[in-house]
Amino acid sequence: MSLLQKLDAARAFQDQLGQLGVNAIGATIDVAGSATEGKIDGKRVILAGTNNYLGLTFDPACIEAAAQAVRTHGTGTTGSRLANGTYAGHAALERELSAFLGVRSAIAFTTGYVANVGAISTLAGPGDIIMLDADSHASIYEGAKLSGAEIYRFRHNDPADLDKRLRRLGDRCARTLVIVESLYSMLGDVAPLDQFCDVVKRHGAFLLLDDAHSFGIMGENGRGLAEVLGVEDEIDFVTGTFSKSLGSVGGFFASRKHDVAPLRSQIRAYMFTASSTPSVIASTRAALKRVSQGEALRAQLWKNCARVHEGLSSLGFTLGAAPSPVIASLMDSPEQAATAWQALLDAGIYVNLVVPPGAPKNLSLLRCSLSAAHTDDQVERIIEGYATVAQQLFDQPRAAATAYA
Amino acid sequence: MIVYDECVAEIQALLAQSHAGGSIVPPESDLIDELGLASLDVMELIEALEDRFDVAFPLNELGDVRTISDLAQRIQNLT
Ligand SMILES: Cc1ncc(COP(=O)(O)O)c(C=O)c1O
Repeated sequence: MSLLQKLDAARAFQDQLGQLGVNAIGATIDVAGSATEGKIDGKRVILAGTNNYLGLTFDPACIEAAAQAVRTHGTGTTGSRLANGTYAGHAALERELSAFLGVRSAIAFTTGYVANVGAISTLAGPGDIIMLDADSHASIYEGAKLSGAEIYRFRHNDPADLDKRLRRLGDRCARTLVIVESLYSMLGDVAPLDQFCDVVKRHGAFLLLDDAHSFGIMGENGRGLAEVLGVEDEIDFVTGTFSKSLGSVGGFFASRKHDVAPLRSQIRAYMFTASSTPSVIASTRAALKRVSQGEALRAQLWKNCARVHEGLSSLGFTLGAAPSPVIASLMDSPEQAATAWQALLDAGIYVNLVVPPGAPKNLSLLRCSLSAAHTDDQVERIIEGYATVAQQLFDQPRAAATAYA
Repeated sequence: MIVYDECVAEIQALLAQSHAGGSIVPPESDLIDELGLASLDVMELIEALEDRFDVAFPLNELGDVRTISDLAQRIQNLT
């Protein structure tokens, strides 16, 4: 068997998706132009599948900060944080993030993926245990694998199942890192984080929260689901990303309970990759400022979420969860999802098409993600787009899509 | 203590429901190549077995598990 068989298998997989009408490498956005509208295949569309929850990619202050930074500091740092890649901006961002989150220390990474891989693989090692939610993001699985720790899964969002599995570990819980997320990116469902905190504490294990999706958008101050539930002091470690609510790219690893700063000289994914470009750091800092005074943005976002959720459910779509900035419509099959996705795009609405194995339970989804920057008019046009799709879909009786919900 | 035969029978019963159309497949059946389990399905099978035998089975052990028999042996070794 040749090494290159993997290429053949990958091509076969892409062809298979192609036959379903799915472009395996995604749509190409020719011009973004704004946080909520862009051009795909020469056609103007509303962007409703971007994770740009607060619309800050086109915030004037963020753009200005990035533009100034690129003129002052150039286009890249061309080096690792431990060598020539720490500029004053990188250090300032870490201080500002620490103050915002109220943590002892925070380390910034080049992406959120890298933050997870680096933090998890360094916190846990051979002889330790990682217990992760079954629906965890790929970067969490990747970090776990790389750590060399024993890996166990518990049922998604199920504190009782976690409790049972920790009990089986007995006194090895003292060497166990439990990993959960806040708002799950595919179905938009939210973790029972307070209950997870209780279970983890009872067994004497440690908890890492990947707050990629609720950071900036939940909580009175935007500190995420843990702020909402009042459990920030109980979480051992937090990771997150700058690529959703902050509208840039990068990630972080932080803690209220422990000083993680010394791990800078241990985390290989921090030491052996180039640091973020100064303009990215500058726009992230500006975005963090907007987030920390972002009550109005958050209110607008959640208003949009409620409206679209109500609109889509009354059209007959089966939705993945209660209203949140991720509104997933469950489709009966990958073929149906692909057809519906194309019909939505033809109607001028871009959402994310998710087919197996991209989502939990082998579901096929139309994943809509909303932004505070969507205007009332755009929100209505998104719902109208779904209405044209609903007409095509619901001529026939529904089948499997109801199974999950 | 978990008995190997009991473990094989449990796996066969679970697979009969999920992948083998009701029939009991031989212990040498390859989970992925013959029975067509995706990696997610294998992990779900493990979860069910952990609950059935009240054990903790690390996913790291899955690497060289190919057949029902391999899996049963691993689970037996856990106790
Ligand atoms: C839960 C979760 N963690 C981590 C990441 C990785 O973030 P980034 O895009 O910054 O690499 C993502 C985004 O895809 C995510 O959804």
